Amino acid sequence: MSLVNLRVNGVTYPVDIEMGRNLSGVLRSEVGLTGTKEGCDDCECGACMVLLDGQPINSCSYLAAQAADREITTVEGLANGDEMHPLQRNILAAGGVQCGFCTPGMLMSADALLDRNPDPSDEEIKIGLSGNLCRCTGYARIIQAVRATAVELNVSP
Amino acid sequence: MTVTEVTAEELPPFVRADGPDKVTGSGRYTADLTLTGMLHAAFRYADVSHARITKLDVSAAREMPGVLAVITDADVPDVHYTPVIADRTLFARDVVRFEGEILAAVAATTPEIARAAAAAIVFEFEPLPVVSDLEAAMADSAPLVHENWDGYEISGDTIRDRNVATFSALTKGDAAAAMASADVVVSSRYVADASHAAPIEPRAIVAQWEGNKVTIWTSTQVPYDARDGVCETLQLPSNQVRIIVPHLGGGFGGKCGFHFEAHIAALAKAAKRPVKLVFSRYEEFMAPDRRREGMIVDITTGVTTDGTIVAREAWLAIDNGAYMADAAFFPQLAAMHVAGPYKIPALQIDANLVYTNHQPSGSVRAPTAPQGCWAVESHTDELAAAVGMTPVDFRRKNLVATGDEGPVGQTYDEIGLLECLELAVTSAGDESALGENEALGVAVGWWPSFAVPAGAYAKMQGDGSVQVITGAQECGTGAVMTLRQIAADELGIEPTSVELVYQDTAAAPQGPGATGSQTLLNHGRAVERAAREIAQQLKELAADRLEAAPADIVLSGGVAAVTGTPAVSIPLSELAAEAAGGDLLLGSASAPVPEYPTLQGSQCVGDQGVASWLAPQFSCHVAKVRIDPDTGVARVLEVHAAHDNGTIINPIGAHGQVEGGILMGIGQALTEGTQYGEDGKQRNAAMLEYKLQTIADAPAITTQFVEIFTPDAGPRGSKGLAEAPNVATAAAVSNAIAKVAGQRVRQLPMTAERVWTAMQSSSDEGGAA
Repeated sequence: MSLVNLRVNGVTYPVDIEMGRNLSGVLRSEVGLTGTKEGCDDCECGACMVLLDGQPINSCSYLAAQAADREITTVEGLANGDEMHPLQRNILAAGGVQCGFCTPGMLMSADALLDRNPDPSDEEIKIGLSGNLCRCTGYARIIQAVRATAVELNVSP
Repeated sequence: MTVTEVTAEELPPFVRADGPDKVTGSGRYTADLTLTGMLHAAFRYADVSHARITKLDVSAAREMPGVLAVITDADVPDVHYTPVIADRTLFARDVVRFEGEILAAVAATTPEIARAAAAAIVFEFEPLPVVSDLEAAMADSAPLVHENWDGYEISGDTIRDRNVATFSALTKGDAAAAMASADVVVSSRYVADASHAAPIEPRAIVAQWEGNKVTIWTSTQVPYDARDGVCETLQLPSNQVRIIVPHLGGGFGGKCGFHFEAHIAALAKAAKRPVKLVFSRYEEFMAPDRRREGMIVDITTGVTTDGTIVAREAWLAIDNGAYMADAAFFPQLAAMHVAGPYKIPALQIDANLVYTNHQPSGSVRAPTAPQGCWAVESHTDELAAAVGMTPVDFRRKNLVATGDEGPVGQTYDEIGLLECLELAVTSAGDESALGENEALGVAVGWWPSFAVPAGAYAKMQGDGSVQVITGAQECGTGAVMTLRQIAADELGIEPTSVELVYQDTAAAPQGPGATGSQTLLNHGRAVERAAREIAQQLKELAADRLEAAPADIVLSGGVAAVTGTPAVSIPLSELAAEAAGGDLLLGSASAPVPEYPTLQGSQCVGDQGVASWLAPQFSCHVAKVRIDPDTGVARVLEVHAAHDNGTIINPIGAHGQVEGGILMGIGQALTEGTQYGEDGKQRNAAMLEYKLQTIADAPAITTQFVEIFTPDAGPRGSKGLAEAPNVATAAAVSNAIAKVAGQRVRQLPMTAERVWTAMQSSSDEGGAA
């Protein structure tokens, strides 16, 4: 067991963990943030996507120890207090949420995409979210939500 | 009849009550729960498809530090269960019949210790011959999956014989004689591989005992079925078992039925601690008895030279897998899909559900329909070609319309199938505008509505807020969210003023849950009536105050007023406050089952109750497909859908169901197929090898609804809509592929390899289709 400092959504959590533990598991149990989901434990579904120093990673296949002392953002860190992030608001308004299990990972990938490309084309949105599986929707409403968010953020950054 | 088409951007907003939980991460799914003292469960699976158990020794596992309980068949009541044929026990007994059969369950302080202990269980066995091929399984000499097949208890009109678990036949007229009179006869064989529901959330269960009562949090679509399964197998009265479903991460039928709740409850009792089970993705593919069934369809149709169908004969074999999950009705339902929504004067379809040593099959979204529709609609294009008609003209001539008699003698009230055909075809546009290696494929589909009893409570509290307590289960569709809207409309208030209490068997009256597209149809009728009871009470209170008759009171915008004089009104909150000091505003209702239509002139042998269709749902999908001739990779560029699903109450939810159903249908068409080794085990039980559609694969989808008020159906003439969109897509894709490839691909999924192979044989034959 080793003591590791994980900095999640701006808060530092000292956690005592085995070095082989994956980040998603530690976020969900020791840190206590269950918004990050585990769908396959194999980098195939993207439900566990979080941001590490702003880059999207599949936290199921990333060692928690490797994330020590870096900035981790989970879905719980997207909203500004009680005010939803525009991506959260727009994906609901567009009908892009059904069962919601892929949604946290989808939102994190979308947030990272808009961070590096504030005005993505539909094709670029598809590439940016291609690591996130959704079984409920036809994806179109998720694309629509990302597009609407880009417009909204570009008008009032 | 009205036709509605709206683009995604124009849909009225319908923000789900569960939406904020889901987008902020605050919502709890079952795997997110942790209880004090909670242990972790692991199963030891047979990992062999057919074998006689010669040794099962759990003593070493029981001795491992951190292990608090190991249970097997010896530790639970001696009960054979499952609907229709009681062929199965919770834990393996004497013989294992598929790789995912559970030998033992372990509860330990960590998941790692639980898995290590499960692996330490000694299992020795004598291999038995693996039954894998459907036709071989039906031979008299075939090894039996269940040696004691005729010793199991059965219910209903169930016909069985050795490895044939259930048999059903649909008969109308003299099909053989009518076939002999046909000008043109076309015979086809289509074979569908098994596939999976594959929800993104792997299932999870947490069980906790307090005294003689157990509370089970579980990712089920059907809380009452889960409860009844626990009660049956652990022999508990229903008031000692409470099922609570946290947010559910998708189901698609995969989480219907009773699965592992009893195993975990028994484990928690033995360990005297709460126990949690979370499936891996591999387990989610391999263990549940809810696989989409593989199927062989042999179909022969006779037509006249002018393209009129005169007779159809078909033979079906459907892979049931090792145990009866809920597939007993699949033969009859598959036969209905292979008959199709056509005017067929003479029909004979014999359908067999066949035991194999595969994972059991069960109701995955529109069971039997995507495969049956794919077979019959591919065959229909072959018929059209045989008589020199276009696929659309052939369907125009033979599809059922309002007042027509269908293939098993049901006469239809107002239906919109032909309208769906015209709308979808028009939306797809002219074939002359297509690019190279592109084609449009057309297919129609249908699906029944299943009416069963359901109940609901409603109450308006002293401050005018409303609670609706329902046995409905939200699996993602948003149908439960629609119940808020139904209650709100009855009471003349905003949906946001209605709180739902749901997914808890201790709180709500019985109902089917999220299965068979029934939420709106059944729970909706109950909620509508319960809310209406409160509306009536409010009208009586308002009538006193406004000196009018209750019948003249209108509830709208949160106030009660007399018809025609909206200026004089009373806020409902005022009436609610008054009632809080006297007769409380409480409503309760159940939804009686409407009468099913009668069938004329047909016979149903082995009747499982799915030949007469209440409020049938119709659809037409047109797929625009491009094939890369070098690789055989088919891409679906566009799908144009038109649906008759009755009145549409929640447009954004309705569009979401159609779009999601189409995407799942494209997966079934192109990439989703389970491969079995000769050992009977799945070879691609992982998401890289079993490929779901990604966002990059998603086509442009247009959806139109032919809205017909349907009597004896759901609230306001609605029908269900969860399964219908999953019926016709694979067939439409098939018909487009055949046009480009010049050859039929007769196995589902139509993978790149299969498409490429068909194109090679087509060019070998000089391109003859």
